Amino acid sequence: MDIGNREETPAAPPVTLRLERKHLLAIRWMHWINFPLLFIMILSGIRIYWNDSDNAHLHPHAVYRIGFGSFTLVRIFPESVWNALHIPWHVTQGMGDHFFFMWLFALNGIAYVVYSVISGEWRFLMPRRGNLREAFQVMLASLHLRGGQPLKKKYNGAQRIAYSAVIAMGAGSLITGLAIYKPTQLHYLTTMLGGYEWARWEHFWLTIGFCLFFLVHVAQVAFAGWNNFRSMVSGFEIKPTNEPSLERERRSWR
Amino acid sequence: MSERKVKREDPAHHTTDAEVLAASRKLTRRSFAVAAIGAAAGFGLYRWVDYSRDDGMQPVRLRRAFQANAALSRKVFDERALAPTYPASRAENLRINGLIGIKEAILPESWRLQLVGAANEKNFAQYVPDVTTWTYEYSRGTESTEGDHFTFVPPEPVVNRGDPIQERAGKRSRGLEEAGPSYSTVSAGTPGLLLAMADITRLPANELVTEFKCVEGWSQITHWSGVRMADFIEAYPPARKPNGSLPRYVYMETPNGDYYVGYDMRVCRHPQTLLVTGMAGKPLTQRHGAPLRLHAPTKYGYKQIKRIGLIVYTDLKPDDYWTKLGYDWYAGL
Repeated sequence: MDIGNREETPAAPPVTLRLERKHLLAIRWMHWINFPLLFIMILSGIRIYWNDSDNAHLHPHAVYRIGFGSFTLVRIFPESVWNALHIPWHVTQGMGDHFFFMWLFALNGIAYVVYSVISGEWRFLMPRRGNLREAFQVMLASLHLRGGQPLKKKYNGAQRIAYSAVIAMGAGSLITGLAIYKPTQLHYLTTMLGGYEWARWEHFWLTIGFCLFFLVHVAQVAFAGWNNFRSMVSGFEIKPTNEPSLERERRSWR
Repeated sequence: MSERKVKREDPAHHTTDAEVLAASRKLTRRSFAVAAIGAAAGFGLYRWVDYSRDDGMQPVRLRRAFQANAALSRKVFDERALAPTYPASRAENLRINGLIGIKEAILPESWRLQLVGAANEKNFAQYVPDVTTWTYEYSRGTESTEGDHFTFVPPEPVVNRGDPIQERAGKRSRGLEEAGPSYSTVSAGTPGLLLAMADITRLPANELVTEFKCVEGWSQITHWSGVRMADFIEAYPPARKPNGSLPRYVYMETPNGDYYVGYDMRVCRHPQTLLVTGMAGKPLTQRHGAPLRLHAPTKYGYKQIKRIGLIVYTDLKPDDYWTKLGYDWYAGL
């Protein structure tokens, strides 16, 4: 396990690569279970939202739009988008799925947070001082405006911010969802979120946030290459022996 | 893949890069095989849930999830909470959204409330041996429905065939809308009370400004006036069963039987559940459900029936219009 010692031994054969245990088994399972669950929650959610857009011409300034006051720039979504995605007239299907899979989505999310805390893996994820600046450098590098990604342990600053944010967004979706689901019984919660309409607005825009996260995440994974992607399935990444070890970092927490 | 196996293949034991790569290939093959099995299992679960037998236009397993969620909600909340109320100045004009059961304009003087299942009903002056013989009259023609919303109607509505027994008796068939006739409606020969409006408005008057919430996704603060359903149940209490228990449910329908809703008795006794006779300080209009409709801030709008013609206290879980079309019976907020 201790690569450093082996390399000090002169008789050791020249090993330049090692397998890095990057993602723990439970985290991989929870990540991949979340993927279809989030997809189902978003699709069924859109099917529920559609109902508010039906006869939109009668009520053009309702909750789901981009606009201000009685000015609406665009309804979300325009008719053509609904039709292209085959959303109309699936409201009950949406509710059936949403109120079943919400439990699995919530349990998986809670299990992830609990496991991250117990295992200590949260330390790789929590944003730290200087991460915003680093995230900016990462962005410049990704856009080829600047050469060389900054050094990282498991995640760079941009990843720390994005992954932590998406966990917080998940929690936000559960809380705003609950406020919409039981606005009378949990009216204190609903009122705290600004009332029923605001809670719906927040729930909706969190969902749009997930969609944007998904697009960027998939693009980044595609650019990062097979070695990185595979590690989310197998858990291991092939790394040069001279790069810092995550296992050593993990041991240092104990 | 077990972590123990992984440890056994720890890179520290590899002596060449080729060995490291070989170990990685082995781990990759194994983990992708497990992932494929996991994905198949996940897809299987989804199919098992979403393609189960139909129960009221909802896969039965999703229907059971509705029911389990409702049972949990009853346990946790027990309809205790009071909905927030607002100053009357914040009230809006409520949208007219769906005229199922009230498409024809009723003549108000022909309206009576049929009540079935009340205790000692024979002691009431309003007792009749057969409530179903009461005839509701409608004005000729129908009210304009222009500009109204029929959001719930799916692209191909099912037209139900008329009921030959009703038609032979010279009556309009009941349950002519998409969900069909109700199985909870009362049959000819059912005794009960025939209450006039004065029998209801003699109860203490109540005003309430609450947020009305439609399952479609819109909500409006609305100013209601009427009497508490709880006071109504107090004045016309349900008959106890032989074992002394009270019926668990309340069933309501429109005079023509086209729209019908079932409730928990607990919800009807909620202090904010109103039998509504007025809106925004004015008498209720026909399209808002005149002469009498329900408001319950613990429920979505589709449970707030317009133009109540019949109320039944019952121990059988009542039929419900939108439940048959895929919606949740409980619909508790």
